[in-house]
Amino acid sequence: MDPILTTNILNVVYEVSTLAVVVLGLAVVFGLLNVMNLAHGEFVMIGAYCAFFVQTQDLPFLAAVPLALLVCGFIGLVVERILVRPLYARPFDTLLATWGLSMLLREAVEAIYGRGFRSVATPLTGSVDVLGAGYPAYRLLLTAVSIALVAGLVWWFVQSATGRRIRAVVNNPELAGSVGIPVTALARNTFVFGCCLAALAGVMLAPLLPVNPTLGLDFILKSFFVLVVGGLGSLVGLISGAGVIGGVESVVSAVSDRTWGYSTVLVIAILFLWLRPNGLFPRT
Amino acid sequence: MPRNFGQVSRRRFVAGAAGSGAAIVAPAVFTGARAADELKMATFFPLSGPAALFGPTGTACTRLAVDEINAAGGIGGRKVTIVPADGGAPPAEAAKAAIRLMLRDKVELVVGSHNSAVREAIVAALKGKIPYVYTPLYEGGECNPNVYVTADTPQQQVQPSITWLARTLGAKTYYLIGNDYVWPRKTNEQAKKYIAEAGGSVVGEEYVPLGAPNKFEDAVTRIKAKNPDLVVITLVGGDNVNFNRTFAGFGLDKSIKRISYLLEELTLLGIGDKSSNGLYSAMSYFVNEKSEANAKFKASFAKAFAPKPPPLSMLGVDSYSGVYCAKALIEKAGGTGDAGRLMAASNALRYRTATGTAVMTNRHVVKDMFLAECKGTSFEIVETFKAVAHGQACS
Amino acid sequence: MTGAANGEVFSFAGVTGGYGATTVVRGVHGAIAAGEACCVLGRNGVGKTTLMRLLTGHLLLRSGTVRLAGQPLDGLAPDERHRLGLVYCPQDRPVFDNLSVRDNLTLMGPIDAGRHAPLLAAFPVLEARMAQSSGTLSGGERKLLSFVRGIAEPGRLLLLDEPSEGVQQENVERMAGFLREAKAAGRALLVVEQNLAFARDIADRVIVMDRGEVVLAGSAAEIDEDTLAAHLQV
Repeated sequence: MDPILTTNILNVVYEVSTLAVVVLGLAVVFGLLNVMNLAHGEFVMIGAYCAFFVQTQDLPFLAAVPLALLVCGFIGLVVERILVRPLYARPFDTLLATWGLSMLLREAVEAIYGRGFRSVATPLTGSVDVLGAGYPAYRLLLTAVSIALVAGLVWWFVQSATGRRIRAVVNNPELAGSVGIPVTALARNTFVFGCCLAALAGVMLAPLLPVNPTLGLDFILKSFFVLVVGGLGSLVGLISGAGVIGGVESVVSAVSDRTWGYSTVLVIAILFLWLRPNGLFPRT
Repeated sequence: MPRNFGQVSRRRFVAGAAGSGAAIVAPAVFTGARAADELKMATFFPLSGPAALFGPTGTACTRLAVDEINAAGGIGGRKVTIVPADGGAPPAEAAKAAIRLMLRDKVELVVGSHNSAVREAIVAALKGKIPYVYTPLYEGGECNPNVYVTADTPQQQVQPSITWLARTLGAKTYYLIGNDYVWPRKTNEQAKKYIAEAGGSVVGEEYVPLGAPNKFEDAVTRIKAKNPDLVVITLVGGDNVNFNRTFAGFGLDKSIKRISYLLEELTLLGIGDKSSNGLYSAMSYFVNEKSEANAKFKASFAKAFAPKPPPLSMLGVDSYSGVYCAKALIEKAGGTGDAGRLMAASNALRYRTATGTAVMTNRHVVKDMFLAECKGTSFEIVETFKAVAHGQACS
Repeated sequence: MTGAANGEVFSFAGVTGGYGATTVVRGVHGAIAAGEACCVLGRNGVGKTTLMRLLTGHLLLRSGTVRLAGQPLDGLAPDERHRLGLVYCPQDRPVFDNLSVRDNLTLMGPIDAGRHAPLLAAFPVLEARMAQSSGTLSGGERKLLSFVRGIAEPGRLLLLDEPSEGVQQENVERMAGFLREAKAAGRALLVVEQNLAFARDIADRVIVMDRGEVVLAGSAAEIDEDTLAAHLQV
């Protein structure tokens, strides 16, 4: 196969899978809590800064994973208790509240690290030969980890007891409480879990990004597009949304340029909002 | 309405008479007259938006210049006070701020370091009534009355550097990538001319949206397919960081050289030492520039903002020189009120910069340019081009 | 003070509440002892389901008290009431229709041979569809599934909102049988019903509601058919 074509295909797979990981946490939280966490991108950003922090402490890159989970998990816990829980039944208010939170988190990180760009060294350098095309090893690893993470989560969601209970709450929150599912605790755990997923995505992507306080803003818009296209109903919707948005953008960008890739994605998102507002896989 | 120049002369006389020894006494003596005697200078630095990264440095450098100037007696004997405004605001907002500053706050001078859209809005708002010094690098062509550009022009950035790289590296094929707005497109227009003159050819040219969350895997793959000798980069900020990291991530840094025309210390910090191999930058200022003047400037800057001075970079330091340019201009013209006199005074105007002195002609600046190669996260100047013409023909 | 001491498992008094500014249920009271079934009767729209939602914690009480084994349930969430032994089978949307029949039954624990087996044997329609999504069941089958889920749970108090609605007659009779067994085992039942024959079959006590208030209450044996019919007539 033509190595350039191989590289382009790997680029598409990379873009789709990493996008899916970023959106995963957002979608899980929305699915269960009906809360659109506009600060999701900021948790990605904090995860990335955790990777930067461990680098400044001369710790191995992987030390950023527990640190990011701890930091973002803790912030998520506090935020759920004081901001999200009192506003569960008021979707518009949660939008405002989490938007405010996103600004707060950006400012907080800026107060510590300033506005400047930080660079996180790639933990895995060099490239791997894939069908004659040299592809950066870390990107390959990241793609594999992302796919594994999404697949693992889907599997867990489908077959685990907790996964079933989450689906039960999404389907019928009133009955869920009455059969003994601790809905409040489950909602809290889910929110924290969503924040942790964002943090993990941030750590993973940090070596490939311009790490700065506004990093999260880049993710939130595209995550929205994914949810608009995929629908808010299911993981299948999420994955297909990431496939459409990430795939179209990187394919169009590869054959044309980024301007076309970006505008095509915008047009698709607008068409979906207009003609199919519930996405490909609407919630039943 | 022209200001009364007699008054200004009297002020200059008073300042002169006060001299060095009386400077300490002066504030007590002139307390009543002080407010009226102040020269209010508006500054436009990006305090919000994507370029806000450069705001603190610009603010600090201006502060340093103004403190130095005030300590030495001010501009034409008048103490300078700074009235800050946000150059990172949308152009319409910046224009409103400019009008308010001029009419209500009675500023007599504007110094700005921001993008061209904001510059055009401010120029339209000021209508040449007060002098406006524009300081960062830009695409050229700003000739509106009473506007003074100390910025690097494409002629200054691109011509010597491309010629040098073509000769030294033997670069024959070039790939141009930039953000999609006026500065990259105009800069590349010049670049294409100089590439042709150097006997090279452009094998690819692309632009990515400004302000979009761009990724560069596809662009890097296209560059890999074309395998040029040199990539000419006019991406800014986060896109510049992202592109260069992706470029090196795909291993292209080993075989292909790059030159970026908006690459200063803060952006390089984001690119990181692992991704800066074979990357060049061409500008009129680098923190590592070895002149005595720069060493002195850096020492005063560090002392003034101890213990935590903002990071220095070309975007920011440009305004230090901008303030000195304004001082020289106003003193030579004898005041801020007469655009004709100011514009006449600007010709062959000499003023102080962070690295020495510069000379203004055609309301642009003939200056020394540096070509630097990235070594890790710092720049090493590999060539100095003396007194490079700005290529602008403003009357 | 009434409480667990004199055999009362569940008691409520002055129960008042509704939706938003509208009060639907006013000053409703009642008590159920262990091994006893109380049926709540009344025409459509008199507040029976609202009463159930107030008792189970899905709606907040505006005033009144609810006690389970003497313990006040004020402010406890539905899942916390469940933990104290309150089992609830709602009238509307009685099952998780995105889950299979089996998942509906095993959400909080595995199939129990002792408790589930006789139920599934009695209702083969469910056993045959264990792997099927419960969204594909008919309305009556869903009520049946909800009934099986509830009665198999070990809680001492069972609240059923119209369990027989849409259920085939032979299965309604089997339901009554299981409810009598539950009473014999010492469980307390509070059942909202429209089916008078079914109610007669299981009830020890009766509460008749009209316009959100109790209009008649007493032992099932004391209340004659005509009085009851008069209250239930539209």
